[in-house]
Amino acid sequence: MRKFIVRRVAYLILTYWAFITILFLIFRVTPGDPTTLYIPEGMSQAERQATLERYGLTDPLYVQYVDYLRMLLSGDLGTSYRYNAPVWDVLTTKFWNTIFLMAGAMTIAYTFGIAFGAYIGWLRGTAKEKYGMVLALIARSSPEFWIGIVLLSIFVFQLGWFPWGGIREIGAEAPASFFDRYVNWGFVYHLVLPVLTGAIYYMAQPILLMRSSMISVLNTDYIEIKKAEGLSNYTILYKHAARNSILPMVTVVALVAGLSVGGSLVIETVFSWPGMGREMVESVHHNDYPMAQGAFFLMGSVVIFMNFIADIAYAFLDPRVRYE
Amino acid sequence: MLEISDLEVRYDTEHGEVHAVNGLSVDLAENETLGLVGESGCGKTTTAKSLIRLLESNCTIAGGSVELDGRDLTDLSLKELKREVRWSEISMIPQNAMNGFDPVYTVGEQIVEVVQAHESDTSKGEARERARELFEKLGIDGDRIDDYPHQFSGGMAQRAMVALALALDPKVILADEPTTALDVVIQDRLLDVIQDLQDEMDVAMLLITHDMSVVSERCDNIAVMYGGRIVEYADAETIIKSPRHPYTLGLRNSFPDITEDSQDLISIPGAPPTLVDPDEMCQFAPRCPFAEEECWEVAPEPVEYGDGHRVECHRADEVEYLRSEAEKHETWTELESTETDDELTETEVKND
Ligand SMILES: Nc1ncnc2c1ncn2[C@@H]1O[C@H](COP(=O)(O)OP(=O)(O)OP(=O)(O)O)[C@@H](O)[C@H]1O
Ligand SMILES: [Mg+2]
Repeated sequence: MRKFIVRRVAYLILTYWAFITILFLIFRVTPGDPTTLYIPEGMSQAERQATLERYGLTDPLYVQYVDYLRMLLSGDLGTSYRYNAPVWDVLTTKFWNTIFLMAGAMTIAYTFGIAFGAYIGWLRGTAKEKYGMVLALIARSSPEFWIGIVLLSIFVFQLGWFPWGGIREIGAEAPASFFDRYVNWGFVYHLVLPVLTGAIYYMAQPILLMRSSMISVLNTDYIEIKKAEGLSNYTILYKHAARNSILPMVTVVALVAGLSVGGSLVIETVFSWPGMGREMVESVHHNDYPMAQGAFFLMGSVVIFMNFIADIAYAFLDPRVRYE
Repeated sequence: MLEISDLEVRYDTEHGEVHAVNGLSVDLAENETLGLVGESGCGKTTTAKSLIRLLESNCTIAGGSVELDGRDLTDLSLKELKREVRWSEISMIPQNAMNGFDPVYTVGEQIVEVVQAHESDTSKGEARERARELFEKLGIDGDRIDDYPHQFSGGMAQRAMVALALALDPKVILADEPTTALDVVIQDRLLDVIQDLQDEMDVAMLLITHDMSVVSERCDNIAVMYGGRIVEYADAETIIKSPRHPYTLGLRNSFPDITEDSQDLISIPGAPPTLVDPDEMCQFAPRCPFAEEECWEVAPEPVEYGDGHRVECHRADEVEYLRSEAEKHETWTELESTETDDELTETEVKND
């Protein structure tokens, strides 16, 4: 196990290095002069030169690369052109907004989806399974914006239970401390509908995956033996069948969790949620390349890290991997 | 001890009802090894699983009884069956032991699990101790109970499976082709170990196989199964040396090495019946070289030929003739041509 972890850590470092290098290259070595891409038009030649120098874009590529690595290592993502503030400061706020939204949605989608998928897989061939499948397929084929709008029209426009969007009362100042910002009822109150939208939208995949995984596990000899052992259905379903069916889910969960850090542009737009998805689109739109690069960096980091966690989790869950 | 009478088990399919077990009767005494032989699809597995009602959702027990020490298992609720019969009275060994264990738990954990599920007052430590003892009886190092299934070799996994099957000291073990996945030497050694333990622990075994040589060496009695019924039943020696049913004679031909005198391999022509809504007739008639008009119209009743030798065949009395004819190659090959003719006419009729 220890050897396994050491090897995975080595992979992690290697992957990470490859990732940041590729990220660097994508943003510098795009075809054509980078300045035409990243610097607003209508600047005089002198202004342009000054800007390029200010951001270190006139240095040779390898110098830029070394600078870039040094900056990343010290946690500096550069300065946003648009906000004229450190990318890191802007992004952390958006990052946490997104994390609360997506982590909430994903947690609900995957816990409920896995349990429900396991259950309808177990009920294979019955009427209940069919109804369950219909529900899952409805969730799967509903676009995010549509779910959001349906929820809005029921809970906001009809019932008036929740606010129409945003992250806090309109006009309210964002509290400075992390704690004051997120740990209060107002925030939770604004969070409910966007989270619910995401939860419904993302739930279909774990339900369907878990169900098919479950069906193949239920056909194995050991499940039959467990039945012959006279164990209770509950034990067979959750301790054996679901426990084995969940293995292929681990990788999926890691990937989806990683990508979800990029936020959901659609949910953020429908609910005016200031998150990563919108920020990324805006920064690309405004040629704010340090910002875009920072956002990609954050997303990629989480994807890589989650995959690492998934590998380790997989080894804990499946002894066949652990003793390889 | 275990008495199966007139057992009927059916699968409901789109093509009709499959009478997989069709009026099967057989007894199993304490500590006995009963071999159940027959071609693929004749209903061996279905018979075994129906004893503990381990059936697919489209499968039902349509009639008959299964009495274990006087208690009819077909009358029990599923709950009673789980609590009082499954594994504690009747356990099983699957075909491929490697797949018989849940890969994510150690073998020991799985033995402890079943012990504690049935004996609530046995502690985990006691259950582990029992697993360890069983392992050692089967010739596996006791410490290996903490290994995962994939860490065992095929033969060792099969032994571990036997340990699991014996964990609750059952009366009967259902072994459905327990050695087909193993090579011959390991297979023999495993069967030796099982036999020793069987005597020590007083367990009966229903040994399912289509390998006549295995049953001839290992079983006290042999039941030959065809089309969901036991067509011939006797002690192992009688079945091998002096069978009466044409199907048994044919089966024996296809394993030439079990009798010294017979020479080359002759297989039974044709295919086993599909058992979908079968007609009232001898199910073997279409493939039987000795079939007469009666065989196509009346299902034969079991007839006793002394000492528990039971045969279901209209012509079992003509045993000398059957045996001498059955040894000849032509007997079985001639049939093949006539049968295809029959089939042709049948399809023609259907097309009209
Ligand atoms: N789930 C099922 N649905 C429909 N028919 C089935 C099903 N399982 C088995 N059968 C049919 O029941 C009959 C008996 O099958 P069974 O598996 O008991 O045979 P077997 O003697 O164990 O064969 P084998 O030697 O191949 O294991 C066969 O004709 C088979 O086609
Ligand atoms: Mg079988």
